[in-house]
Amino acid sequence: MESEELIDCYLELSKDPVRFEAVNQLTNVFFDDSNKDVFAVRSGGVMGVVVKGPSNQHKPLKFRMEDHGPVLSIKFSLDHKILAVQRTNNSVEFMNFNGDSIEAEYSQPSKKSSNILGFVWVNTNEVAYITDHGVELYMVISEKKSLKFLKTTSIAVQWFVWCSLNKIALLASAHGSILQPVVLSGGSISKLPKVETEPGRMALERDVTLATLYGVPAVLILRHQSGPQTAEVHVHTLSGPGQAPVKSHVLKLGLSGRFAINVVDDLILVHHQASRSSKVFDTALSGETDGTVRYHTSIAPAKSFKPATLDIPGLVEPQTHDCELYSPNWVVFQPNVVIDAKLGCLWHIYLCLPEFSRLIPDLSICTQVTLKRTDAKEVLLKILLESIKQEKPDLYKIQEAFNHINSVYRSWADETVLNQMANSPGVPIPSRTTPNTRVLIDQEDIFDGIFVKLDNEDDLGKLEWVLLSYITSLAEYGIAVNHNLNELTVTTLARREKFTALQQFLQYGVVSDSKPLACLLLSLGNMHPAALQMALDMLARIDAKEEIQEVLLSEGQILSALKLAGESANPRKFLSAAESANDNTLFHSVLFHFRNSPQFAATFKKDERLIKFVQHYTTIFQDM
Amino acid sequence: MAERPRILQATTPGTFSRSLLSNITSTPNVSAMSTKNEVELKNFFIFNSSLGPKEGEEIKKIVYYFPPTDSNDQQIKNVGLVEGIIQFTETFKPSSEVSSLHTLKQRQLYYQPEKDFWIVMTLIVPTVKKNKDSTSTIEYLEDDIQDNVYSAVLQQAYLMYRLFWDTFHNAFKKDDINVFKTRLDVFYSAYIKTMKLAHSDILNIFSGIQYLPLDMQSFLKVQTFINELECNYNDIVHSAFLYNDHLIWSGIEPSDMKIAYQYLIGTLLPANMETELQGGSMPRNSGSPFAALHHGRFITGPTNLKTAKTVGKVPKIYLFGGKTPCTYRLAVYRALSASVCLFIKDVELSLGFFKELDEFMSSKITSIVSDIAEYCSKQVLTPSSLPESTPRFIYFNKLNLAYKSTVHLDNKQSGNIVCARDSLKIIADINKKKGIFGHSGEVIVKTMNDYWVVGKTSNSREFYIAINQKNASLIDISDEVKKICDTELKGIFFHPI
Repeated sequence: MESEELIDCYLELSKDPVRFEAVNQLTNVFFDDSNKDVFAVRSGGVMGVVVKGPSNQHKPLKFRMEDHGPVLSIKFSLDHKILAVQRTNNSVEFMNFNGDSIEAEYSQPSKKSSNILGFVWVNTNEVAYITDHGVELYMVISEKKSLKFLKTTSIAVQWFVWCSLNKIALLASAHGSILQPVVLSGGSISKLPKVETEPGRMALERDVTLATLYGVPAVLILRHQSGPQTAEVHVHTLSGPGQAPVKSHVLKLGLSGRFAINVVDDLILVHHQASRSSKVFDTALSGETDGTVRYHTSIAPAKSFKPATLDIPGLVEPQTHDCELYSPNWVVFQPNVVIDAKLGCLWHIYLCLPEFSRLIPDLSICTQVTLKRTDAKEVLLKILLESIKQEKPDLYKIQEAFNHINSVYRSWADETVLNQMANSPGVPIPSRTTPNTRVLIDQEDIFDGIFVKLDNEDDLGKLEWVLLSYITSLAEYGIAVNHNLNELTVTTLARREKFTALQQFLQYGVVSDSKPLACLLLSLGNMHPAALQMALDMLARIDAKEEIQEVLLSEGQILSALKLAGESANPRKFLSAAESANDNTLFHSVLFHFRNSPQFAATFKKDERLIKFVQHYTTIFQDM
Repeated sequence: MAERPRILQATTPGTFSRSLLSNITSTPNVSAMSTKNEVELKNFFIFNSSLGPKEGEEIKKIVYYFPPTDSNDQQIKNVGLVEGIIQFTETFKPSSEVSSLHTLKQRQLYYQPEKDFWIVMTLIVPTVKKNKDSTSTIEYLEDDIQDNVYSAVLQQAYLMYRLFWDTFHNAFKKDDINVFKTRLDVFYSAYIKTMKLAHSDILNIFSGIQYLPLDMQSFLKVQTFINELECNYNDIVHSAFLYNDHLIWSGIEPSDMKIAYQYLIGTLLPANMETELQGGSMPRNSGSPFAALHHGRFITGPTNLKTAKTVGKVPKIYLFGGKTPCTYRLAVYRALSASVCLFIKDVELSLGFFKELDEFMSSKITSIVSDIAEYCSKQVLTPSSLPESTPRFIYFNKLNLAYKSTVHLDNKQSGNIVCARDSLKIIADINKKKGIFGHSGEVIVKTMNDYWVVGKTSNSREFYIAINQKNASLIDISDEVKKICDTELKGIFFHPI
């Protein structure tokens, strides 16, 4: 039972976590979530500082600092050239760093000695202090070993949350009942409208998360409920006018207790410590709505992380250590970082899309969710194929899935056309994935990923159903059907000997007209008499007079073909056809048609190859 | 028309006893002073000579005879005469069997659907009674009965029986002869009453299917609905979808569908319409006015699912169009103006199955039907809304049995037509001789009363036009025909293009 559950796990911790010295009496560990650096500071820096980046590819930085007291916070500038260390409540020290040692030290106190709650690197050389009185912005001039004051804004602040990606700080006052987002960029501080919460409703720092969902900054507030009600996450997206926060989503957790939140591939993961499981939410789904707020439940059953292990050097041979999942020592950082400070491990959280998507029970929702994930094309095609291959496929849901796929396909096509109109010709076609289309599944993909794999005798019936569903969906989105799909429709119906159905499909224009398709129909003429009629109709619709002529000739309808050809007729072709028809009257008619026509009469004198027909004529009719 | 002495004249399909032209000119104008008797059925019987080969046992040959009022002697005499004619004509080794016998007052049609079984229908030739100078003369309108039309009627009578009761031979194998006879009696006594002999025409020859013109999107919706249905319920082998009396989709072969279509349009749906009308347009006895509107119900099978204790009558039908003959149960579900015909495997059916089907279909069919209705409402032109003098046409495609007629205002064979009956007869005559066209050809006929009838055939299709235009020249008519072809035969290959 347990192993079965493990197979279904769809969340995993990175296989090679960043290892660092675990917290102990001598060593303090800091994490800078702007650069994703882990600092292991031994004895206030005297015994050395080891900085490890987010991946094990980069060599760790190692240096020593002088001991000026216990470190409260330590962060490199974004280019790792300036190190900022906060040791007191009203001042930050800056040190120029050359790659392996510190070159110069200088410091900057806060204005009016206000209490510094924290500092953040806004830009390569811009740093902001968040104090209990507001925000102070400085430019660091490393050459001069000094800082230049840029701007300040005054607000009462109790705690704050920083989002390095969007350069947004959320300043909390009145015990978190007032949440003020500010944008720090371009050397300025701009206040955004406040996050509107229920009046007086307080929030703790650990319950507030700043994240980016589908490119839009968002404030996620975990709301614990009293009584029997379970906790919720309120998602305020900064999508209103002037980036005003709008409460747009509520995630219903169905649980209460300790939670932590991460965002992976724009999906919100809510980890629940008590049940040691995580739930996944997608704000792009429509959910239930009351007009302004959409209510979401988790899209797949809650599951634990896949078991994670660490290799520990042993006395004889390396040992494997099973990591405790959902440990109380875990601290999560945005978007997808988990740190176990006791263990000295930094992991990234990954979503295993194949396992995850397979667990979404509703195919339509599964398609919607999967279409918005990175590298999901193969996964989605596989899931679709699986559900089609079921004993009784749910065609209705499959149709819905196709509709979601084609909705993306259509908007991509529209964008492409717009881009082509904007660009001069010759400019390469934009890549197949524009920012708005993460997964583009076009007709070729469906053809190769699904239809080709159904193309065997056992699945022909399903192939027919699914082809029709797909064509219906394409039609709904006004997308022209590719030739190979039309061809497959015709051949599938022919193989199933459903010519009656084929006739009706052609009659109602389901299969679009083309010369190759008409030729295919012609080749089916020996299977069903209607195939010839359908082929001729199709040729007539695309005005392929020459092909019709050929067909009529091959059917022995020489006079009809001749009438159709008119002045463009090739006398030799018709005369030899009439000759081989063994019908003297017919031969007479054809010959006299050409001889009496002023256009062709002359050619009879010139073209020697025509003379033999005249001779043939005289041999037939000389006795009469 | 002068009375001519007549001799027995047996015709076979291979030989034409009358020329086309004489048929057209000889049709007399019926004056107001005269009274006309329409064609009538004299008798209708089925026999198999091998069943009573011995003398004195002739009555055993007859498996069905109408009218039942004819005495046994009379029946034996009539059958004996037919047997004689059949044997006599066979001695001349014609290309096919004898198909009709012309006499002054009667027309007899023969049809051998299966070996040794003959179906014979005797018609009384219509007459017109003319009162002139206090003396009345009776004129027999022999040309009013067209052999090809009534042969088709006879064939239809057989095919309809076969749809419900399998071939004569198979029934013979399965059941006792008396059961077989009773079944024939029950079937044909009812069927004969529904034959509309006076209004039989070219449409009987085609016995075609009217398809609904529809946009691709709505058609695909129907198609996906059918696919879902057949995918969910494996016992449903084929389905057909009709809107009013037009076919949108059929999964069975046209040769089977045409009979099923005739049954649906001619018998089942009209009967059902009547019960619907009797109930009033609004449901009066529904539990609550707020209850969700439930639009569909079965019209064969359990017609009222709420009260039904059994699945009711789900007719067994026999189809022969496929590679091997198949037996199905035919359940017809009707919702709004749509009818869904389900050809179900011949297995034990349960009430639960029908309830499930009802739930499945009623939830999906409403939006499909409203789409179709919306599309149809945009197509304002119906045959009856066209002005009287508009040229009328009949179209037929041999390969899918589709027909379209602006001559007939309904498909009830009630004689509700908008061109002269003569023109329809000419069309049937052209059809009879279409063999001379080969792959494609055209015939233009002008009648004495300034009617023009044009018959064209190409690419396995037939197209007939009746134009009522005074003092028109052949060129005028030819232009007119070209115009009609351009609008009506768009999107198909019809020579010349």
